[in-house]
Amino acid sequence: MKRKLRPTTRKSFVTYAIVTAAFIFVEILVSSGSASNMFKGLLVPFCVYSIAAVSLNLTVGILGELSLGQAGFMCIGAYSSAIFSCAVKDTITSPWVRFPIAMLLGGLVAAVFGILIGIPVLRLRGDYLAIVTLAFGEIIKNVLAALFIGSDSKGLHFSLTSQGDLGLEPDGKMIINGALGISGTPKDSTFEIGFVVLMLTLIVLYNFINSRTGRAVMSIRDNRIAAESIGLNITKYKLITFGLTAFLGGVAGSLFSHNLAVLQASKFDYNLSILILVFVVLGGIGSIRGSVIAAVVLTYLPEVLRSINNYRMLIYSIVLIVMMIFTSNATIRGFFAANLAKLKGIVSKDKTAVKEGN
Amino acid sequence: MALLEVKKLGISFGGLRAVDEFSISIEKGELYGLIGPNGAGKTTIFNLLTGVYKPTDGTITLDGVNLTGKSTIEINKAGIARTFQNIRLFSNLSVIDNVKAGLSNNYRYSAATGIFRLPKYFKVEKEMNEKAMELLKVFDLDKEAELPASGLPYGKQRKLEIARALATEPKLLLLDEPAAGMNPNETAELMNTIRQVRDDFDMTVLLIEHDMSLVSGICERLSVLNFGQLLRQGKTAEVLSDPEVITAYLGE
Repeated sequence: MKRKLRPTTRKSFVTYAIVTAAFIFVEILVSSGSASNMFKGLLVPFCVYSIAAVSLNLTVGILGELSLGQAGFMCIGAYSSAIFSCAVKDTITSPWVRFPIAMLLGGLVAAVFGILIGIPVLRLRGDYLAIVTLAFGEIIKNVLAALFIGSDSKGLHFSLTSQGDLGLEPDGKMIINGALGISGTPKDSTFEIGFVVLMLTLIVLYNFINSRTGRAVMSIRDNRIAAESIGLNITKYKLITFGLTAFLGGVAGSLFSHNLAVLQASKFDYNLSILILVFVVLGGIGSIRGSVIAAVVLTYLPEVLRSINNYRMLIYSIVLIVMMIFTSNATIRGFFAANLAKLKGIVSKDKTAVKEGN
Repeated sequence: MALLEVKKLGISFGGLRAVDEFSISIEKGELYGLIGPNGAGKTTIFNLLTGVYKPTDGTITLDGVNLTGKSTIEINKAGIARTFQNIRLFSNLSVIDNVKAGLSNNYRYSAATGIFRLPKYFKVEKEMNEKAMELLKVFDLDKEAELPASGLPYGKQRKLEIARALATEPKLLLLDEPAAGMNPNETAELMNTIRQVRDDFDMTVLLIEHDMSLVSGICERLSVLNFGQLLRQGKTAEVLSDPEVITAYLGE
């Protein structure tokens, strides 16, 4: 006899199926030559933004804490993995070995930062995480934009002022060139790798949510006082979740940096953090599948509607506000719920009518 | 020796002395009632016993272990579990997941084991499911296991809260107005359930209640609280017939 799947398990399998189907569809489009160059250029960003959005959803939807620093973690992941790849690209020539290590490293460095800022902040109640992560993202971006690192036979040189200050030997090579960023990162990211990483991310997230730890995290979100009363260590579970969000954000950043010829810190600004938050909110807070769909749709739309590109952030903020009003206002929610029920009622009535007619 | 020994417990909020010189001694396996008019400080005592508030004076000892000033989490691990006057369930989780959250500290595996679905995950989850269903059966909630907790009717939500508290395998169970909002039939059923919990789980229960039929029906001993101070303590029938207690409840 077939074992009945639990609803949570079924939900995760449906998501895997949707993502895989979309992947196959795109692969067919590309190989049959009917995909435009613009579309091909968007394939890796689809994966990057989806991973960043689902991992942010873990903190926002599952843990119930607002984080505005996802771009900061992506930035850390992007830089640390790019530095690693640039440093070893002559020694490890196979991208199949180099890139997974780079992504893992990018994720781990981001997770360390996530846990470091989480330790003081996640002990507090309220919206402190949002404030601190917002500042964190900006600090990381600005520090990295001012950082110069070069290497020569004497080893590594650091400076926060200019390239000349490094005092490099003539044969030395620049690794990070301040605001100009990192160039020469091997272009290891492909859509196929992005798809595999996205699938792994989804599996990790669903497994996490449907485990003892995920249950504890959602208990804390639903009722902190009750969670304490059954002996759940609030800070520990919050740290694990936030660390995982940072790790996956770092992985997304690694995927991002290995898709660009020149990596600049200015890309990871506040707007990017908000953009990813918009994916999460529009896809449905707490809905993993929704985040993926929203990330893909909202990455694709602005490219299609290039003519109104200047108004993108304006439209995003309006849509965000409208969504918040719609989801928090009981009257509006009730209106939709009632009409949906009516609609469903009509459909099912039709069916029964047909049956009776027979 | 008594399971719970509370000596001269007191707490002040600014100038207000909410609880003063409260002492109680509960034997293992006892069903003990804590009653008193509204605002007498009953829930404050529960909050002191579970570490939500830190006492200004006095000591709390459970099974020989001093719990005074410990955190809620430590106190739960030491063996005190509670329910709340205003129901506090994990409303978005399913009924069974509420109980499994309560089992978290006794059935352990690491976060990584969960993520990578190592064999231990399946083993422990199976044990958790069995244990959770066992608990749900006691409270007649096993048919609703997969429903969201917020979808349960009121009486069942109260029961689920007790099941969740029991899942942490406590030595002492604190019930804060378990019959609040229940009709006489539900209350009668709840009385049986509480007795059954005491007998089947070998549990000691301290409960706050206003419903006198429940109090006189199941409590063996009572403490009466008035204005933060102990008014009377003793066998249920004796306490309830005491003129002072009747005055405190009904006025002169």
